[in-house]
Amino acid sequence: MRTRWGLAAGGVTAAIGILTGGCGGPPAAGGHGAARSAAALPLATSLVDTGGTSWAVAQLGGSSAQEDNFWQIFVRPAGAARWRLATPGGVADNGGLVVASTGARSLITGFRPSQDLTFSPLAATSDRGIRWSQSALVSPGLSDVPGALAAGPRDRLIALTDRGGVELGTRLGAAWTSLSSEASLARTVAARNCGLTSITAAAFTVSGTPLLAGACGKPGTAGIFARHGNAWRPAGPVLPAALSGRDIQVLRLGSAKGVITALLAFGHGARAGVIAAWSDDSGDRWTLSPALRTGALRMRSASLWTGGSAGLVLSGNRGETIAGPAAAWRALPPLPAGTATLAKGPAGHVDALVVARGSMADWSLGGGPAGWSQRQVIGVPIPYGSSS
Amino acid sequence: MPGMNSGLNDSNPTLVAAFKAALLHQGLIAVVILAALALTWVSVREWRRSGRSAAGSRLTDDTKAEAPEPAARRLLRIGFGVIWIFDGLLQAQPAMAAGTPSQVIEPTAASSPLWVQHLVNWAATTWSYHPIQASASIVWIQVGIGAWLIAAASGRPSRLAGLVSAGWGLTVWVFGESFGGIFAPGLTVLFGAPGAVVMYVVAGIAVALPRRRWETAQSGRRILDGTGLFFVGMAILQAWPGRGFWQGTLHGKPGTLASMIRSMSATPQPRFLAGWVRGFGSLVTAHGFAVNLVAVTALAAIGAGLLSRQPRLTRFTLILMVAACLADWVLMEDLGFLGGLGTDPNSMIPLALVAIGGYLALTRPPAAEPGPAAELAGRDRRLPARLARAVATARIRTIVVAWAAAVVVVGAVPLALAQANPHADPIIAQAIAGSYAQLDVAAPAFRLTDQNGAQVSLASLRGKVVLLTFLDPVCTSDCPLIAQEFREADQILGRRSRDVELVAIVANPIYRDRRYTQAFDRQEDLSGLPNWLYLTGSLAQLRKSWRAYSIGAEIVPAGGMVAHTDVAYVIDARGHTRTELDFDPGPGTASSVSSFAVELTDAARLVMRSS
Repeated sequence: MRTRWGLAAGGVTAAIGILTGGCGGPPAAGGHGAARSAAALPLATSLVDTGGTSWAVAQLGGSSAQEDNFWQIFVRPAGAARWRLATPGGVADNGGLVVASTGARSLITGFRPSQDLTFSPLAATSDRGIRWSQSALVSPGLSDVPGALAAGPRDRLIALTDRGGVELGTRLGAAWTSLSSEASLARTVAARNCGLTSITAAAFTVSGTPLLAGACGKPGTAGIFARHGNAWRPAGPVLPAALSGRDIQVLRLGSAKGVITALLAFGHGARAGVIAAWSDDSGDRWTLSPALRTGALRMRSASLWTGGSAGLVLSGNRGETIAGPAAAWRALPPLPAGTATLAKGPAGHVDALVVARGSMADWSLGGGPAGWSQRQVIGVPIPYGSSS
Repeated sequence: MPGMNSGLNDSNPTLVAAFKAALLHQGLIAVVILAALALTWVSVREWRRSGRSAAGSRLTDDTKAEAPEPAARRLLRIGFGVIWIFDGLLQAQPAMAAGTPSQVIEPTAASSPLWVQHLVNWAATTWSYHPIQASASIVWIQVGIGAWLIAAASGRPSRLAGLVSAGWGLTVWVFGESFGGIFAPGLTVLFGAPGAVVMYVVAGIAVALPRRRWETAQSGRRILDGTGLFFVGMAILQAWPGRGFWQGTLHGKPGTLASMIRSMSATPQPRFLAGWVRGFGSLVTAHGFAVNLVAVTALAAIGAGLLSRQPRLTRFTLILMVAACLADWVLMEDLGFLGGLGTDPNSMIPLALVAIGGYLALTRPPAAEPGPAAELAGRDRRLPARLARAVATARIRTIVVAWAAAVVVVGAVPLALAQANPHADPIIAQAIAGSYAQLDVAAPAFRLTDQNGAQVSLASLRGKVVLLTFLDPVCTSDCPLIAQEFREADQILGRRSRDVELVAIVANPIYRDRRYTQAFDRQEDLSGLPNWLYLTGSLAQLRKSWRAYSIGAEIVPAGGMVAHTDVAYVIDARGHTRTELDFDPGPGTASSVSSFAVELTDAARLVMRSS
């Protein structure tokens, strides 16, 4: 009898064990920490350098294998009507490209790490991408945000690394010193007030002061910091009371011609939106744009142009631009499907750069009522399989 | 699960050929052992017969009078012996060497908890590092256990066969079946839970029981009780809501049961069988609730019937169970062993065998064992004489038992050696890149700058064996792998690495600055390696060395990686190229990296020995 009960108990225990094993599932993902983390912003972007040359970065390939999708740089010289491919060679750029303007007709780009490459080679051009020079690199590799590389006066650079470091480079990255890190910046008085959770962008003021920006854990505060001497000081705008309960993250930060421009994302889900902020070179006084409600739409691209203007690509083929300080957001006609980024086209028009597998099409929004019209298609020989 | 997968195609011709050769080699050893045993037996028998004849006495068997083996035990012993042999033959399928880790072990482990994955990965790494030894060993271990079980009808050898069967079954259940997937979601007895090998373990333990355990009905009662409880538990599990078994379709897609059947029907198999399975899958998709209701009811009824202890009901339940098992085996488990990578006939046949064994033990317990036979006179006391007498009086069955045990050892020894060797076999590298070429020509000279700024020429390395390759410092895939292979080769060489220089020359026409070679060294943890040299120079210098060593290094437009030749040379102490290895690292798995390192090391050792 005892044996039988023992057997029965064993069987029941086994059945329960099997049941619990079979019915178990992974713990629910997410949580408060996840909600606080920085929203992912794709690397697709565009910029206009001080000479008026337009540059754009977009990913092509359309492959389900990530290593078969390659990032490309397109350039449209000032005054020219057409774009051309200007991707530097010699490194697989399937991890992404981060760009910063270093002056008229000049650009520096960093290759984000991919596969087994853990550092970021750099390539620089001063002739609109015809020739590139390579002698510098960032190690560890660049962070996965479009503002991970910033260029300032006297060929200085700031690089945000994927291990949370902030490096200050001289001579276009020929030498690097540590400027800060996410952890050390978060410990400063300035960053503690905003509860800094991550650094998302870097820039220089025109006078050469390093700026860092990030996501704040404390609702209603903007995390922009300026380096004065050896200390970081808050330089972010004071936000209106309407945003007091919202999480704020700086999406993009840049400066040109004496104007610092920041794009700030606020809130989550249906209550999410974007505002633009402008300051003179000191960062003491800021002008804020009206809030742009984006709701649950995802941000596909955010670009900063000259004069404080900016362009956004949102999911659902929605595009928005803003002309600069004191202007309001302007909704564009529905974007052509597959728009990777908006860019400054000729005569001040907005271009939508549309990518599909191995081609990039330039759609232009003229001043007339015709809406978007395709002006150009560039075939790109995507090197499928070259990195596998 | 990094260690599990060699990354090679299941039908890789090099691996298949090596697997067949290993099977043939070990098969010959098994034949030689059998021949030696037979020869010894016949010789000793004849020698003793002639001795006895001369002394005027008769050769008699020195064995106890044996009681007949219980029917239940015989069924389990022979039934599972046949299944083990069948499993062993399945393991000899050509795709097993490369396919078992990635197609058999990994899929089950992947859906199990992390601790199961770690445990399984630890052992499965052995297979992916030593695919030939592992796969051939399993064949002989399983064939040996099967033959042992069939041949050893009684006594200690027979009980030992049961223990070995249970032990090996447990090993296969844990490491080969990831505990039969009991910790993974979607567990159902209809598809083999909790693993066919659990039944092998149960049967092995039963065979290992002493005879007195079979002389009462208690063993049979326990087996039937256990089986009954198992069926009741499986019925509850099958009925448990939220597991997808009650729905024929879920969100427009086949439900859990239907999708399992659909995946089974995709296995290569005879057309008629695939038709049956597909048809049943359609039935489940259309009437998922009804099918699961029948399954749950049948499982619960079988469980209750086996637990009922009423002889007629038990017998009826057993017949129902065997019929249900056969139907499930054909329509849901799809026989289990088809498709080129099946390792066993799945759970239903072993489960039925165990239950029938339990029933026989319950209903036909054997008579008590007769007392020991009278001791025969004239027993020798000296060990050699006793041994000779034992051999001479042994039956053919005993010789077969000894042979079967030896076959298990023939399989187990290479497996143990493979487990002890942390480096992968060079066969993987050869399967990826082919065998290497032996040369003896003067190596082209070069003079370049190392990562520290020092000038290095091939002449300055005279007196050492040089392992030379060409690497792109900003390469994202192959070059880091090759660097890891060189680093591991240095570790394998041990103290002999003092006589070896590991040399790489930059293979990128653009990114050739020393900053990049230094960054690459840091990335690959090569900076501290005293005999590592990463050489660069002007484009003209590099192009000259590329031409001399037939290296192509082309810029690929639109963001592609520089395309360059993956090759390694072994240059002897006189400056002669002795070996050229195609060094395309292939899938870059842990086993392939280790295998290339071993191949490089072997080539270097060969050159060192002949220098």
